[in-house]
Amino acid sequence: MTHLLSHLASVALAASPPAEGAARAAAPVLGRVVEGPWTAVLIPGLPLLAAVLVALCAAGRVRSKLPAWITVGCLAGAFAAAVQTYLAVVHQPGLAQGVRVLEWIHLSWGEKPGQSFAADFGLYLDSLTMLWMLFVTGLATLIALYASEYMAHDLGAGYNRFYFAFALFVFSMSCLVMGDNLILLYLGWEGVGLCSYLLIGYFYKKPSAVAAAKKAFIMNRIGDLGLALGIMLTFVQFGSVRYAEIFEAAAPYLTLAGEGRIGEIPLLIQLIPVLFTVGAFGKSAQLPLYVWLPDAMEGPTPVSALIHAATMVTAGVYLVARFLPLYQCSTWALPIVAWTGAGTALLAATIGMAQFDIKRIMAYSTVSQLGYMFAGLGVLTSAGAAYHVFTHAFFKATLFLGCGAVMHGFAGQLDLRKLSGVAFMKGWGIVGLAMLVGCLNLAGFPFTAGFFSKDMILAEAFASPTYQALGWVLLFTAGLTAYYTFRVFFRVFIGPKFYEPGDELHAHDDHGHGHGGAHGHGDGHGHAPAKAKATADAAHDFHPHAPGWAINVVMVLLTVGSILAAYPYLISWVPGLIDASSARVIEVAHGGEHAHGTFFGYDPHAVMYYVSAIVGAVGIIFAFVLHFVGRTGAATAKADALLPVFGPLARWAQNKWYVDEFYNFLVRVPLLVISHVLHLADKLLVDGLVDLAGFMPQAAGRGLRRQQTGALNGYAFGMVLGVGVIAAIGAVLLW
Amino acid sequence: MIGGTLVTLLAQGPIPADMGGVTLAHYLVVSAVMFVLGLVGFMVRRNLIIMFLCTELMFQAAGIALIAFSRFHMNHTGQTFVIFVLTVAAAEAAMALALVVLLFRRKETLDGAAWRELKG
Amino acid sequence: MIEKIGALWPEIILFAAACIVMVVGLSPTAAVRRLCAPLAGAALIVAGIVAWFTTPAAHGPLPMLPLFGKTLVAGVGVLLALLLAGTPDREYESAIARGATGYDPIRANRAEFWAFFLFSLTGAMLCAGADDLIWLFLALELTSLPTYIMVAVSTGRNRSMEAAVKYFFLGALGAAVFLYGFTLLYGGTGTTRLFAPAGEPSIASILAAQAAGPGINAVAMTGLVLSFLGVCFKIAAVPMHFYTPDVYQGASSAVAGFLAFVPKAAGFFTILILAGAAGWWGSSPVDAGGSLPQPLHQIVLIVAILTMSVGNALAVVQSSAKRMLAYSSIAHSGYMLVGVVAGPGPANAPYTSNGVAAVLFYLLSYGVMNLGAFAVLASLERRRADGSADEADDVNDLKGLCATRPLLGWTLVLSVVGLLGLPPLLGFWAKLPLFTSAISSNEIGLVIVLGLNSAVAAYYYLRLASVALLESPELTNDTVRSSPFPARAVAGLASAVGIVLLAAWPLNQWAMQGGRYQRVEPLKAAEGTPPARVDAGAPAAR
Repeated sequence: MTHLLSHLASVALAASPPAEGAARAAAPVLGRVVEGPWTAVLIPGLPLLAAVLVALCAAGRVRSKLPAWITVGCLAGAFAAAVQTYLAVVHQPGLAQGVRVLEWIHLSWGEKPGQSFAADFGLYLDSLTMLWMLFVTGLATLIALYASEYMAHDLGAGYNRFYFAFALFVFSMSCLVMGDNLILLYLGWEGVGLCSYLLIGYFYKKPSAVAAAKKAFIMNRIGDLGLALGIMLTFVQFGSVRYAEIFEAAAPYLTLAGEGRIGEIPLLIQLIPVLFTVGAFGKSAQLPLYVWLPDAMEGPTPVSALIHAATMVTAGVYLVARFLPLYQCSTWALPIVAWTGAGTALLAATIGMAQFDIKRIMAYSTVSQLGYMFAGLGVLTSAGAAYHVFTHAFFKATLFLGCGAVMHGFAGQLDLRKLSGVAFMKGWGIVGLAMLVGCLNLAGFPFTAGFFSKDMILAEAFASPTYQALGWVLLFTAGLTAYYTFRVFFRVFIGPKFYEPGDELHAHDDHGHGHGGAHGHGDGHGHAPAKAKATADAAHDFHPHAPGWAINVVMVLLTVGSILAAYPYLISWVPGLIDASSARVIEVAHGGEHAHGTFFGYDPHAVMYYVSAIVGAVGIIFAFVLHFVGRTGAATAKADALLPVFGPLARWAQNKWYVDEFYNFLVRVPLLVISHVLHLADKLLVDGLVDLAGFMPQAAGRGLRRQQTGALNGYAFGMVLGVGVIAAIGAVLLW
Repeated sequence: MIGGTLVTLLAQGPIPADMGGVTLAHYLVVSAVMFVLGLVGFMVRRNLIIMFLCTELMFQAAGIALIAFSRFHMNHTGQTFVIFVLTVAAAEAAMALALVVLLFRRKETLDGAAWRELKG
Repeated sequence: MIEKIGALWPEIILFAAACIVMVVGLSPTAAVRRLCAPLAGAALIVAGIVAWFTTPAAHGPLPMLPLFGKTLVAGVGVLLALLLAGTPDREYESAIARGATGYDPIRANRAEFWAFFLFSLTGAMLCAGADDLIWLFLALELTSLPTYIMVAVSTGRNRSMEAAVKYFFLGALGAAVFLYGFTLLYGGTGTTRLFAPAGEPSIASILAAQAAGPGINAVAMTGLVLSFLGVCFKIAAVPMHFYTPDVYQGASSAVAGFLAFVPKAAGFFTILILAGAAGWWGSSPVDAGGSLPQPLHQIVLIVAILTMSVGNALAVVQSSAKRMLAYSSIAHSGYMLVGVVAGPGPANAPYTSNGVAAVLFYLLSYGVMNLGAFAVLASLERRRADGSADEADDVNDLKGLCATRPLLGWTLVLSVVGLLGLPPLLGFWAKLPLFTSAISSNEIGLVIVLGLNSAVAAYYYLRLASVALLESPELTNDTVRSSPFPARAVAGLASAVGIVLLAAWPLNQWAMQGGRYQRVEPLKAAEGTPPARVDAGAPAAR
């Protein structure tokens, strides 16, 4: 630990001010790998161990919190290993380190290069990897601790199942991020998809959860097809699936791109990043494949926080960042990434504005922020995108866990029209404060981490002459984000105290509250103050239970983390890491003067702080006026009165622009028609053929059976005849 | 004519000058005829003892061919082989007769066609 | 000749054990008589170990075949000894135990039965190590002759008599055919030595020289074809397959399980030896990794296709489980012939393209899986109207077996699903190299037929499995009971374990060794001297 502190101090002292164009670290050496520290093996190894141990707990029908402590312990160990490995990696900046764990797949069908296929279980450690693994393992540890309390209502089989999938998820995510070849990445990619599926469908008795799990799985399959095709094409083009060898083989193309001769790169090479992008869009919930992520909120909230906000959904960003050298060799890939990202950011923000379920609002904001990250990659600020991933991981986890605490405490209530002033209730102060910090981050309030990371992307968008319009889209989205974020905060966490419990009262079984008639709530006390209701209506004796120590500790740690996430910016920590990895942006030589975009004549890097601060503030003020000023009850915000002004737009936004319905029409209807036709063909044609195929041997058998007369002479005759005929055939063949 | 073809086919080395006017081909034809007689007899006769004698006929056909070849190749291996064939034939004969006795006790007939309970 | 003794220790041990068993089995004391089976099993274990350590590499194209063949026969033989427990003298012994009669050595069959069991296995081992036509002929006869008696005495019923008479007479016909083939092979080459050290005349090197020159001489080729067709009787291949269902059904289930493996193994060793002597050259000796010489190649191909198709088609329509397994045994011989057609592939071919290794591994797998199926049938019996017991035969006897006797039921399910070749069981790993080796030798048509036949086989194998697994036992099914010989169930259990475990255990490396193929160099004829004269062996004659 002292080692880490001294490292941070040295980084801080050596840091240059965060201005673009400052002297950049030495370019990374791509394609060379040196031996890395063995401790890196512990990063995937300990979560796997945890999964195995939890599986044993499940086999032993453990009904205590043992699985949680196993998982938390192993994940903390993995985090420590990640820190250790990180230190070893930054010790040799710009040089990737490899650790070969075990031989995995080795095929060869010839001696020449390209006639073999090798994918080991090996780790590729560079600063990009370690940036990801630091927050993945760190957050996973915290969220596992949080879940130990959150999931306590399901002790026993469900608890074990939860932690098994949780630990397996962290293992898969480490494979995805740390693998040194595309096959291991794909294994991790599918592994996290599987764990995501298992955890979304955790409440498997709930039809909506099952449907959401299936939706997530199928949507991801579409993306995975693209990734798989991309991997195959990579192998065909570069003769290897190992990063080091791919980068080495791609180096000439990168040089071409650097010289501005991108048109000379073969089209198939340019196609690879486009295919990867399809995979990234599936996993990271971008247009048009984003619809699964909001539904994924059916899973337990810790899962939403870890998998569907902080880590798994950033796998797409990681993929693009990891293969940025290839992306920079493609004419279309980066514009596709940029515009899809910006479009997703805007669309998701408009939907988020009109939702009432606070967890869904957070889900749409995740989609929107992921859009930001892709836009950042597209406009070639991989450092900005990676930094936004990093800050977003902290503040979005904070927000989700805050929402989760509310959900946990109010029996599953998530409707912002039925909750108010939560932060002022007894025992909810920490959660309220954490939510405030999270909201400020998300809204891009000045000097928060979210503010800095968003700025890097906005500034770079305005700075590139071709992406001015994209910059405006993102800026507008930033305003919308600030608005809907504080809409949640003002309505739910401050204001007059009021609540209405949700319908998941089973969550309180452990707490001994009598709640026999609790399901009868809803009509009589819609706007009654909480205290009055609680005392007056003994039959509906519901007490929101304030979060316990585990939740509070985690909330505090995450809040501190969200605040401190601003610090790496000041020391330009993330740009340094990114520049030392394969995600470094190459300098493209432009013929003549490099046209630099401006923001009304000013350098975007200089003024964007002020612009985005103003936009954010405007959004917050709108939210303040519409949702706080003059609100007496939970559902009496002025905004509700304003709705008719927007005509049908508000309703359409609330209905998520009917994208699900559109997909339904576009995909499911033709699919149903096709499947009915195929079913008919199957019945008539295929079944007919199968019946025929079954009939023929039977008919042949019945025919041949007559020859099996049981008579000795008959058999002898058959044998002699057979020998004769076959010998005759032989004679004919010989002559 | 057939004999001529056979001898030509076998001509890897000089053909032994004299086999007493009777060539290899003659022996082979006799052997083949015996073998086919045995086959046909086995197929058409139903008496178990006759059927067994037919297999013996086929074995001895092979024996004749072996001795002829042995003489033709001027080595003794073929004749050695015949001794073993005769031994095996004797063993088979012992088994066949034992079996026939056993069967006759059960059904009081030597007709092979009486045994056709198993079929299909 | 004396140096060959060194390669024959396993056979000598089995022969000695057979002689001992023949005496021990006649003891008037029941406890001593019962030692026959354990003695046979112990002898097999010792012979297997001795074979493993003492069998030298042979001359000729398949140097490791003797080692593989002998250990395989000994290994499966131990399980067969378990399976055959209680087969001979069943009713006679129970009558003695009841005190209804005294012991009369003349009426007892136990001693001969176990001695013949060992003799037959000795023959199969000798087949694997044969390097001379005379030896091969004697070994084949030694394998077969005892089995005729074993069939006859396996039950006391007329059906066994009928099975024995058919088996014996048709077997004699088959033996005559391959004997005539051997004769012609000798005639066409001038020697009975199959393999010899390099430079010495042998059938393999002479055939290689003929193929290199004018082509294999017609007499020798006719001999090869007739030998192959005759040996088809041993492996129950078309057109010599007619006896199979009747004999398997008439013999007791245990003996049928024995018949499905031992003669088949001896037959396949013989076929591999003959094919190795003929050489997998294709059109010329230069073309290593080719096919068998024409028309032998075409004939084996036709026989393979006919065998698997006829076997499967007939198995589909059976209602007797034993007949069904008999026809499936025919089909499996067809599958294995695919590996013979495919050949060992080019030098240092990997396991997946070595058809010989595929045949050997399939033989092993088939031995284990088939034993499981027959062991289940042998462990069940029906009570007949007169109170005596008859072995279970009808498919309906197996209804709901998994519910009533889970151990037997699951053994049956594993065996038939394994025979069907469903992954991840042994049968799949056995069938896979047959496919791949046939593909790598460009026998695509054969591969398609093999695939279609595997699909047809699913029909009846799954029927057996579903009868045992899914159907509920008939209420009147109390007539079906377990046989009083737990050793049979143990044999079945062992094979079930094998079906699961051997798939994971890399036995295929062993088969790969056994299937190692080295080309035989053509014999360079000394000037003007026919090779035959070199082999005259009598210096005085010069």
